[in-house]
Amino acid sequence: MAVIIGRERPTWIDRLVEGWKVYRRIKLGIIGLILLAFYVFIAIAAPWIAPYDPKESVGEPFEPPSPKHPFGTDEMGRDVLSQVIYGARISLFVGVLASILSVVIGAAVGITAGYFGGIIDDILMRITDLFLVIPGLPFIIVLSVILGPSIWNVILVIAIISWPSAARLVRSETLSLKERLFIQASRVAGASDWFIITHHILPNVLPILTATMVLTVTNAIILEAGLSFLGLGDPTQISWGTMLYFADRYGALLSTNPMYIVAPGLALIGIGLAFVFISYALDEVVNPRLRER
Amino acid sequence: MGLRGYVARRSVELVVSLFLFMALMFYVFRLMPGDPTAMFIEEAAFSAELRERLRELWGLNKPIHEQFVIYMSNLLRGELGVSFIYNKPVADLIFSRKLLNTLALLTASHGMALALGMILGVWAAWRRGKAIDLASLVTALVLYTIPVFWLGLIFLLLFAVYNRWFPLGGTITPAREYGNIVEYMGDYLWHMMLPATAITLIRLGADFLVMRNTMVSVIREDYIITAMAKGLPEKIVVWKHAARNAMLPIITLAGLDMATVVSGAVLTESVFNWDGIGRLLYEAAIYRDYPVLQGLFFIITLVVLLANFLTDLLYAYLDPRVRYD
Repeated sequence: MAVIIGRERPTWIDRLVEGWKVYRRIKLGIIGLILLAFYVFIAIAAPWIAPYDPKESVGEPFEPPSPKHPFGTDEMGRDVLSQVIYGARISLFVGVLASILSVVIGAAVGITAGYFGGIIDDILMRITDLFLVIPGLPFIIVLSVILGPSIWNVILVIAIISWPSAARLVRSETLSLKERLFIQASRVAGASDWFIITHHILPNVLPILTATMVLTVTNAIILEAGLSFLGLGDPTQISWGTMLYFADRYGALLSTNPMYIVAPGLALIGIGLAFVFISYALDEVVNPRLRER
Repeated sequence: MGLRGYVARRSVELVVSLFLFMALMFYVFRLMPGDPTAMFIEEAAFSAELRERLRELWGLNKPIHEQFVIYMSNLLRGELGVSFIYNKPVADLIFSRKLLNTLALLTASHGMALALGMILGVWAAWRRGKAIDLASLVTALVLYTIPVFWLGLIFLLLFAVYNRWFPLGGTITPAREYGNIVEYMGDYLWHMMLPATAITLIRLGADFLVMRNTMVSVIREDYIITAMAKGLPEKIVVWKHAARNAMLPIITLAGLDMATVVSGAVLTESVFNWDGIGRLLYEAAIYRDYPVLQGLFFIITLVVLLANFLTDLLYAYLDPRVRYD
């Protein structure tokens, strides 16, 4: 039987254009992109748009919102608006880096397990399952105490706890891919495992991996905030989580400036929504079955 | 393989992975910098001698591998050890009011979220594509991104500071005398209202999304079309035929998500000063109370593993197409 493999494969640019045509019709996805662009702008332009130095005392403690300080001041008289603006840097940095790291680990484990199968698959999946049942935050708390407070450690511990779901997803994709005709053909033609993985498997799991990664960013941002809120973040960096930690600790609840609590949380929700909306839209692009919803 | 063989094999697997995990965690905990005695000894003059005696008392002076052997053999006999900080058996510390407080809070809020999520999910799925469906979808996504501890703080601000309807924290009013059990329960529920509502709302987002999406695909199944074609009333088709079958994934998720549930408890209990095991765990990590940490991880992991196991069994029971393998 003749096997037809002569049809030209679309390049990744073709696919991107194709995907964008679907994506741009999804309203939530567009809102998400605009929201994200707004946050990226704030993060990059922070030194120019922040009215004050976020670490310098420029007023009385817990000043209520005023034209001079739109979000009031914190317990040491520092400008809350400037802190919220700078906080965008940490959230984006931690969220994006932690999710890239976790997806890279997940893809490596998932592809290895799915492609090679057998005992390698058994061992890797057993480890993945163990990580899936570990209670996330308690484990992260212990790890952060071990590693000490620094932004790199926060990224590392979030990645350590987030990779298993990506690994499971990639493994099941790989399992179905490796039985497909073009990969069988490639193997018969004498391609090495490494070639098949990098040229055939990886490009094909990439779309679904991207959708997962975007959702992981939201989870990572929320985790960073939770960790910092417990006082386990990097105290030298201004993040929305550490702001809420200090706000709670110094009694902002009963103080004259409630914006100190409200503002960092709204900033967190906004950036989380940006990534959730984008991931929702990407999901519809990648899984055509969902499109009718 | 039959049901009996499956249960036996899974039980063995469960026990093996639990003990492997605890063995791993023993060393992980001991990587934490700092010394458990640091918390007790402030005076420099006493410290050297006193510290040595405390270390001896707690068995920390023995080589770490010997400590490990002692720990594992105790664990196999069900002994969880004695807390460094509280000087009480770990089992007494965990199986106490703290566990009851946490269970009460989590059962109430997650039960409520599950029930509401199912009902609203079915309701939205039946109106899919309409404005009200899109609105509830966006609301659910917003709820999904709100950090639970922040919502807790906002609740405190609105309902305990600006309006003094609810207390600022704790599980009961300190030093209050109760005439009868009803009064006590009332006070307890009054304290539980804000943290429980915060967890319910956050959780509702996720539960709703799962239920809605499952319902949307169930609605397209042939048996639903058949039921409609038979001329059955819409209400019967939605609730008796569709919703029943769409419940499967959300029940599985509720079982599998135990690990996340515990994480939420740590943060919420910290905001509301809720005297539960979430706060106990946080304290134990900060003060390097190894026995309590180990005990808590043991219990939590056991519960999560058991929940996964039971979920698998329940799934196979509810869906006869699933086979044991």
